[in-house]
Amino acid sequence: MISILPTAFIFIAAALMLGLLPKGHIRGVILLITPILAAWQVWNLPVGIYMQVEFVGQTLDMMRVDKLSRIFGLIFCLAAFLGNLYAWHVRDFIQQIAALLYAGAAIGAVFAGDLITLFFYWEGTALASVFLIWARRTEGSYHTGMRYLIIQITSGVILLAGTALLYRETGSITFERMTLSSLGTWLIFLSFGMKCAFPLLHNWLQDSYPAATITGTVILSAFTTKLAVYALARGFAGTELLIYIGAVMTLFPIFFAEIENDLRRVLAYSLNNQLGFMVVGIGVGTEMAINGTASHAFAHILYKALLFMSVGAVMLRTGTSKASELGGLCRTMPRTAIFCLVGAASISAFPLFSGFVTKSLIMDETANQHYPIIWAILVFASAGVLSHSGIKIPYFTFFGHDSGLRPKEAPIHMQIAMGFTAFLCIFIGIYPDPLYALLPYDVAYKPYTMSHVIGQLQLLCFALLAFVVLMRTGIHPPEIRAVNLDVDWIYRRLIPTLYIIIHAKVVNAFLLFEVVANTLVQVVIKSLYRLHGPETGVSRMRGVGAMVMWVAILLGIALTASYF
Amino acid sequence: MDLNKPNGTDEFSTLGKTLCWFTKTENANKIFLVLAVFCLALFLADFTYHKHGHFHIEEIPGFYGIYGFFMFTALILVAKVLRLLIKRPENYYGSKAIDNEEYPTDQLEQGSK
Repeated sequence: MISILPTAFIFIAAALMLGLLPKGHIRGVILLITPILAAWQVWNLPVGIYMQVEFVGQTLDMMRVDKLSRIFGLIFCLAAFLGNLYAWHVRDFIQQIAALLYAGAAIGAVFAGDLITLFFYWEGTALASVFLIWARRTEGSYHTGMRYLIIQITSGVILLAGTALLYRETGSITFERMTLSSLGTWLIFLSFGMKCAFPLLHNWLQDSYPAATITGTVILSAFTTKLAVYALARGFAGTELLIYIGAVMTLFPIFFAEIENDLRRVLAYSLNNQLGFMVVGIGVGTEMAINGTASHAFAHILYKALLFMSVGAVMLRTGTSKASELGGLCRTMPRTAIFCLVGAASISAFPLFSGFVTKSLIMDETANQHYPIIWAILVFASAGVLSHSGIKIPYFTFFGHDSGLRPKEAPIHMQIAMGFTAFLCIFIGIYPDPLYALLPYDVAYKPYTMSHVIGQLQLLCFALLAFVVLMRTGIHPPEIRAVNLDVDWIYRRLIPTLYIIIHAKVVNAFLLFEVVANTLVQVVIKSLYRLHGPETGVSRMRGVGAMVMWVAILLGIALTASYF
Repeated sequence: MDLNKPNGTDEFSTLGKTLCWFTKTENANKIFLVLAVFCLALFLADFTYHKHGHFHIEEIPGFYGIYGFFMFTALILVAKVLRLLIKRPENYYGSKAIDNEEYPTDQLEQGSK
């Protein structure tokens, strides 16, 4: 059975079956069993290509299993399981279906061996995931979902265009390593970059993730961007441009995250920053760097989900995720606070937590390959991660000033989901060998060396010290209710405003033209009337005798002329 | 902690009370002191082993600490300036964004302890 069904189809079949089942726990069980079944299949499939299908003269590889696709397939299954466990209380059919199809599409894309299959699943992730935003069922989320969908679908269309050009050029649609040498590969690169939230193409992420439902955001955070990371690692490993793109990605979101009030948007900026590390790893492109990217994606999906879960639990209980409205919740939500701290420590890469054993692979390899400035940026960005995800999220939610809110602790299934995710974050941090064994290439790396541990602790603790000093001196910016402009201002504000202005100008121009044209036509009609009207010279009635006389005169002239 | 708040500390769970310790003003100095001592210890630890970094700059004792401290401070200061430039009221994007709307209450499970 194993080799006859692509993993994605397990999710699609489960989604189809879900509607036939009664509401309630049975559906919840299906949502949990499906990713386990899928993970079991992925785990047991040997490396190879399965499920080749003929489609309009092309061979589609539905299941290409190798070590790179396998690790992404496995973490996607794990993320789907944890997300669905966290969403156990949700009875919204739309969200349940969307979660299954979204995970299925992402996994299908990971195992796609050719660009056409990739395209179908690529658009599948866009279509399925937007319902997690719309499921909030407010006007704001509807518009945000629309913006999200337009950008995601555009990314897919560009991918298809690139594939067509590449096929014309090489005669192949196989999804393999490419170089940026033709318009086709550039388009594919751009398409991946849109989903990967490259600088200037990034804003859909911060716009849409905070607009999804509480559980929807947890699920969204795992798939789309990491699928793009996988696609870049598969298609563009070693493309030097990615090093610089990645470095910028690690850098700019930390400033925005610092002053953002909505904690789920802070996490979206932080997600963007973490993607930067992975993109740098892909750009460096050595075996160790790709290992770093794959392992960091794995660890990142877990701690990022954990952070979104803890903020989501707070939102479920208080109705808000705004830092300015929260604070001091550790009194009544202490377990959620501790899970959040584990996530914060993991993303900040404290020793013994997952980020430490994965991010350092990328950073060390960047140094090994002699990119000193990039390395310095990554070290700075690591301190920046501590600032917004390590400190800001837990501090302003659970500690800090007392907001007076006394919400109940998170529901038990959310605690289980967070507890299990937190356990995995710590487990990977303490014992990284099983994760290293899953990586695409052999790992000969020891994260726990004296200089590495001390160096990292110094970086983080001194940054923490700086935070305390800045808080005590009142320099640290306070959390205030506001929105901050970003690139999305261009298409959310500038272009609509320009449209209104230009529209008004065009309408005015047309009105003016109409007036001028009308006047002109009237003048022409009037002058014609003056010439040819009943009272005027041209159309005056004349007697027949006068005409005969004129004809006779003309004849006379003609005769006279013919004699000479 | 503000004692006028509806719930006293007694009603919190043991874990809640433990974490609550960190939020009390009178403990802030202790936390600061412990952190400062720990940082000093980390700085001194740099002299106890042979550092083998990729770049010469890593061999400066306390390099990571100094870099972390100053870059963090710089980050906060730059972010403050950035805020002056890009901060807008919460209803800036109007009804086409979620910033200014409440999360639907039927999707929440609110409740006080």
